[in-house]
Amino acid sequence: MKSILKIAALFVVAIPLSLSLKAQRGEVKMYLNYNYSLPLGSFKNDIVSKNSPRGFTGDILYSFNKKFALGGAVGFQDYYEKYPRATYKLPSGEDISAVISNSVQTIPVMVKGLYAPLGDKFSWVQPYVSLGAGINMVSFKQYLGEFGSSNTNVSFAAQAGAGIQVPFGRLSNSGLQLGAVYNYVPYTKNGYNNLNNLGVQLGVHFPLR
Amino acid sequence: MRRILSLLLVATGSAAVITGCQKDPLNNLTPEESRIYITNRDSTVDFNSYTTFSVADSVAVVDNGKASKELTSVDQAYIDAAKKYMQQAGYTLVSKNQTPDVGINITRIYQTSSGVISYPDYWGGYGGYWDPYYWGYGGYGYGFPYYSYGVYSITEGALSIDMLDLKNAASHGNKIDLVWNGLVRGSGIFNQSTADSQVKALFDQSSYLKKN
Repeated sequence: MKSILKIAALFVVAIPLSLSLKAQRGEVKMYLNYNYSLPLGSFKNDIVSKNSPRGFTGDILYSFNKKFALGGAVGFQDYYEKYPRATYKLPSGEDISAVISNSVQTIPVMVKGLYAPLGDKFSWVQPYVSLGAGINMVSFKQYLGEFGSSNTNVSFAAQAGAGIQVPFGRLSNSGLQLGAVYNYVPYTKNGYNNLNNLGVQLGVHFPLR
Repeated sequence: MRRILSLLLVATGSAAVITGCQKDPLNNLTPEESRIYITNRDSTVDFNSYTTFSVADSVAVVDNGKASKELTSVDQAYIDAAKKYMQQAGYTLVSKNQTPDVGINITRIYQTSSGVISYPDYWGGYGGYWDPYYWGYGGYGYGFPYYSYGVYSITEGALSIDMLDLKNAASHGNKIDLVWNGLVRGSGIFNQSTADSQVKALFDQSSYLKKN
């Protein structure tokens, strides 16, 4: 987990530094979001069925013009569920009764593009769509009672999102955003399929100067 | 420079938030939830063929590989619970001098030094913890036909309840076979107030022990 944190911190620093040169020609904005995540499909059915209120995302995007921006995105989400005690049959023939706890942390690091179709015209509500692709660092811990095993993997990640932006004022480059993002996260370890999820986001954006 | 510093602050803050908003699964467990109960049996054995049983009158304490016999109030609670749930399963309690069909040994296993003891190590030293002479079978050996389940590393402590086939020891080449094992691991074991519920859990998940 510590190594994942270090890598994520590096990305947080490296992506805006790489964009800072271009900032002289356009505008670099930071988007900070609280993220509420809903596991979907086999993630929900096999690993964690509970929604996660513990997450955030941070994007730093370079605006080529008022409609289109491109940059880097990182995030963090913590999923956890404790299942009631149950008895499981192991392949070796044993029966084991345990409270199983699944704990999953994801740290996506992506290249992300954002398109706001009304960018040229002022509007208090600016819709946008976004696309992203990159990697997802996944830490998966499973505990039988207090006895746990841990796996850390890096997998592909892609996302598509949509939402609205509301500026703080007519002349302001800062504002609020509310949106949803579908995260596609293949995860084929331990017989599982994916960690796909839907994120609902609320946050602020502001120019970096 | 100011930008780099502010970005470093963001990175540090992000790491702090990541650590802070993560749920710790271990802190969210009660002692009861922390425990796991593992049972296994010799699947070739028909438990209906056994009628009588006896439980060893003390508990073997295996501490970092060295064994002694003890009978504390906690040990007595486990012995009483084993008798209770064997009788509820339909077996008749007899003294060890009445040639019981099966014998029950209870062992507390501790590992306090560095490193771990593996469960196969426990089986490997079994003759040293439990002399077959106790059951009236001096000179006999032990047989463990299903080693596959003993792959656990014991890092703190474990309670093991072992059911031995005394009835067929002579016909099995002077070998006392282990026919059922229950293992409890986790927090709060070796506890008088929860001994009964721990043993009950082992029997509850071993429905094949119930006599028809």
